[in-house]
Amino acid sequence: MKTLLKILLVASVAISAGAKEVKLLNVSYDPTRELYAEYNAAFTKYWKAKTGDDVVISQSHGGSGKQAQSVINGLEADVVTLALAYDIDAIAAQARSLPADWQKRLPNNSTPYTSTIVFLVRKGNPKQIKDWDDIVKKGVSVVVPNPKTSGGARWAYLAAYAYALEKNNHDDAAARDFIKQLYKNVPVLDSGARGSTVTFAQRQIGDVLLAWENEAHLALKEFGEDKFDIVTPSISVLAEPPVSIVDKTVKRHGTTEVAKAYLDYLYSDEGQDIAGKNFYRPRSEKAAAKYAGQFASLKLVTIDGEFGGWTKAQKTHFADGGVFDQIFQP
Amino acid sequence: MKLNRWLFGTIIGTQFACASFAADDVDVQALKKQIQELDQKVRILEREREIDQDSAATVAKAAPKISLGASGFNFSSGDSNFVAQLHGLVQFDSRTFFEDGGLKGNDGFLIRRARPIFQGTVFHDFDYQFTPDFGGSTVQIQDAYLNYRYSPWFQVQAGKFKSPIGLEALQSDPATLFNERSLATDLVPNRDLGIALKGDLFNGVASYALGVFDGAPDYAGSTANLSSQDSKAVVARVFFQPWKNSDVNALRGLGFGLGGSYEGDHPATNSATGLTSGYTTDGQQKFFSYKTDVFADGPHWRLSPQAYYYYGPFGLLAEYVVSDQQVRKSTTGQAADLQNKAWEISGSWLLTGEDASYTGVTPLHPFNPRNNQWGAWQLVARYGELNVDDNAFVGSVFADPKKWASGAQAWTVGLNWYLNKNFRANLSFARTVFSGYTGGTPSPGTVITAAQPENVLFSRLQLAF
Repeated sequence: MKTLLKILLVASVAISAGAKEVKLLNVSYDPTRELYAEYNAAFTKYWKAKTGDDVVISQSHGGSGKQAQSVINGLEADVVTLALAYDIDAIAAQARSLPADWQKRLPNNSTPYTSTIVFLVRKGNPKQIKDWDDIVKKGVSVVVPNPKTSGGARWAYLAAYAYALEKNNHDDAAARDFIKQLYKNVPVLDSGARGSTVTFAQRQIGDVLLAWENEAHLALKEFGEDKFDIVTPSISVLAEPPVSIVDKTVKRHGTTEVAKAYLDYLYSDEGQDIAGKNFYRPRSEKAAAKYAGQFASLKLVTIDGEFGGWTKAQKTHFADGGVFDQIFQP
Repeated sequence: MKLNRWLFGTIIGTQFACASFAADDVDVQALKKQIQELDQKVRILEREREIDQDSAATVAKAAPKISLGASGFNFSSGDSNFVAQLHGLVQFDSRTFFEDGGLKGNDGFLIRRARPIFQGTVFHDFDYQFTPDFGGSTVQIQDAYLNYRYSPWFQVQAGKFKSPIGLEALQSDPATLFNERSLATDLVPNRDLGIALKGDLFNGVASYALGVFDGAPDYAGSTANLSSQDSKAVVARVFFQPWKNSDVNALRGLGFGLGGSYEGDHPATNSATGLTSGYTTDGQQKFFSYKTDVFADGPHWRLSPQAYYYYGPFGLLAEYVVSDQQVRKSTTGQAADLQNKAWEISGSWLLTGEDASYTGVTPLHPFNPRNNQWGAWQLVARYGELNVDDNAFVGSVFADPKKWASGAQAWTVGLNWYLNKNFRANLSFARTVFSGYTGGTPSPGTVITAAQPENVLFSRLQLAF
């Protein structure tokens, strides 16, 4: 009997030995398609060389808030790479599939790259849009996604709010009026950033798109520099899109090791270089220096500094009955 | 005067024309602007329509789904976290005995199985199944269990379900090749009550089950819903399909494994002897039973090496079972360790080219005479033996050789016709010969199965969905 069990054990080990195929699902926000297409190919190569295993990475993209809700509802993400920390906090709080202090597990608050919000205008800037004041003028049509579902839209909203606060000596009522005026100029609310890019660039709606910096550069690259110009406002927000493994799922899938390595590799030289190449602002000094030329310098406010953190900002502005619900009439 | 009038007319005319051109230009600009605004409005409306369509598609994805097909009724929530399924199995059989020594009442039609099968999932990971059976002469619960799926390789199942030992016993009822399972299955338990860890490893290359059960006796047609003893049986099984996911076609269908059980003490109780109620033939006639004053007293273990091989239309399934039981005779206190053994090998060949498999056959061309399609046809054959320990009969202490056989050898041949995935017809002939019976020719009116070979012609109509 013992001999038989030993034979079975040896057989099972022999079967399990050798290269295996590992599957990962990265649930991400809307404009990261190109970034992760390139990064996944690089990581797959790196992991194969390191372990001999093949890793097959699937991507899911959509508005950050919607993606977080999908994970809460059971979408089995091994890793989440979302637009803002609040969305991953929501997964931690509601699905309890990762610890509340998840953001402390990786450097830079688990944010391997940053970005900001800029303006994409039509070539020659016919409406002469130079700063936030110009987009609230009557007759200017603004394209931006719905902050209820899109992370990028929340960053854009808060960037505009920060500008209005600064301009009005932190008069909150004046800032609200400013935001109200801005959303009066928004004809269509898409659910995600990529949808708004389609609205502006392909459907040719609106005079200005409030876009992720990387998305604006991508639009220039994809549709041609003869079609659009990027306008950098005087002030914007330091957008920090964070990443995390989903502990419960990776344990269940047996993918903890590869999922951790997948996120760690974002901080590597190659990972940072790919981020810079895709117009995300890299964290490493080396990559930041290499790509410094493609990013305009501007004043960047932080969510913690200007709005008291994401939890407070979410509750005040984007929760049901919050400021956005009060000022926006569809 | 003429000149003046001409000059006056020219000046007035020029001014009027300029004013008129200026007015036209303003109109054109206004029209241009209006067209641009209208263009934007149209574009916005079109985009809103696109967004609405996307939203509708998203909502549709989240809507509950209902489907009806060859796999039964399926109701599921949009995210598939909640699923309810209804399946069914009906088997209508006939058995016709030949040269049966004048036995009466054996030939006839019967509803072998009539089972609505309710199964499903709640909260994504929690599965359930409930299967009553209205076939035969009594209604009984075949399966009633809950299963928690942490992952494919780690599941916990509790309730009443098939004890994971025998390969043929574990094959689903609609997928078995013959009307009745072989003599080898006589030595493994049927359904039992218990809890088991189970799972598939390496994408199904290996599977395991390890559980604690009440400890059902050797194969019994009907199964209890409660335990009548304190002791419990540990049951385990491992099964390997090393080439399941490989490109080696000839080996992809090879599987082999080992199942077994151990129960340290299996004492008799007021309500049960702890022993099998008897071993039966293909024709479901009992050919062996212990004496009524004999009961289980001590460890009971089983071991069953098993394998199958499927390659294209060819299928082979084989298993060997040892069931070792300590018994005692209550009236005299005599005890013995009895070891009963059985084995079987069955083969199949699909004449119409479909792939054979452990889980059933799907016809390439479902029966439809209007299109000259005739379903799938399969030849099947089986040989099996069961040998009761000779010590059971020594001195007629534990079993009576004048009533029962100490061994049975059975062969069966048949033809299966799969009209479609759900409907099947079988015809088979089984012959079982017995050894060890010493009772001679029974007196008229006495029924002794082992007194002469059993020859049975089976037929079956089966609906499974």
